[in-house]
Amino acid sequence: MKRALYEQLQAATAAGASAAVVTRLADGAQSLFDGERWEGGLELAGEQRAAVHRMLVANRSGMLAGAENLFVRSYARPPRLIVVGAAHISQFLAPMAALAGFEVIVIDPRRAFASAERFPGVTLIDAWPDQAFERLKLDATSAVVTLTHDPKIDDPALIAALGSPAFYVGALGSTRTHAKRAARLTEAGLGDKVGRIHAPVGLDLGGRAPREIAVSILAEVIQVRYRGEAA
Amino acid sequence: MRRREASRGGAGDDELSASRIYHEAIKALATAAIGHGALAAPDGRALVDNPLCGDRVEMEVNLSGGRIAALAHQVKGCLLCRAAASVIGKHAAGADPGDIERISMGVSQMLEKQAPPPAGWQELDAFVPVHGHRSRYRCVELPFQALLAALRAAGEPR
Repeated sequence: MKRALYEQLQAATAAGASAAVVTRLADGAQSLFDGERWEGGLELAGEQRAAVHRMLVANRSGMLAGAENLFVRSYARPPRLIVVGAAHISQFLAPMAALAGFEVIVIDPRRAFASAERFPGVTLIDAWPDQAFERLKLDATSAVVTLTHDPKIDDPALIAALGSPAFYVGALGSTRTHAKRAARLTEAGLGDKVGRIHAPVGLDLGGRAPREIAVSILAEVIQVRYRGEAA
Repeated sequence: MRRREASRGGAGDDELSASRIYHEAIKALATAAIGHGALAAPDGRALVDNPLCGDRVEMEVNLSGGRIAALAHQVKGCLLCRAAASVIGKHAAGADPGDIERISMGVSQMLEKQAPPPAGWQELDAFVPVHGHRSRYRCVELPFQALLAALRAAGEPR
């Protein structure tokens, strides 16, 4: 590995970011992908880049499918689930996601809801989501789900998440609620990205209780993490 | 996934009352965001929030001869909160803490008791329809509380 690339990988992992290194076995040419940018001398086709991206999100290493001799090594941090809204569903979702291996962060500027009593053992940030995201630096292994039911708080979170490399963005609300939300976000200039939002959020498991909705959200996040958006 | 949201009251009622409170003048004031920003060297600063809805107002003031020489605010909040901060941005310069105290009281009386809006700050008329929507009073009052707190901070020895 070239020194410059190694130092970039060191810097990325030391900063808590995720990165993947692709090596062409024939000649040792390499490139590094940090979820947003590519560095290094090995040129990959668009399709191959997308495949490496999916492997990084899933923290998988191995031969790149469909390529002759490209080896991918993923250095991914544990996946993060960032829950916007210290709501009833969040009280179930946070511990479930922690058990499933996610680093869970709950954000809500409404201090009355974002209390340690309601979320024991959970990282709570009582700030506005766009400000909290600046500190958290959403990356390729981050998932964001908005659950406040208040567009005043959900919208800025979605705007920030859609501008980030987060692998999953979901928003609670009915189809009707989401249509209005999509119109607002389109007006805010995000028309090309609104389609990334999973809404209504979660897999259709049929349950409606908060704890069941939490399961469906967690299931969808895991599905997208391993299968990609096409799933 | 198909799921209906639990409705809090009739959706129709919500929309009707929302259109009464969030009329054009309120939207225009909120969008104008008069006074939005930060001061280079504020004499007083305060951050107040509403823990139930998440609205946050950061207010900074500079005083000169006991009167407001400059102010700046940054609001994370609903339309009502942003609109009220905008009215402050338009009118507060030149006022002394006593004036602001009086205007702030006048705003609360207007909201709670349907008193006429305080004289001199004409744009406060836009908030008259908020009377009766008790849960929203604090949205309008929050920027005034932030300004009063910033003025108190400016008066304290540093």
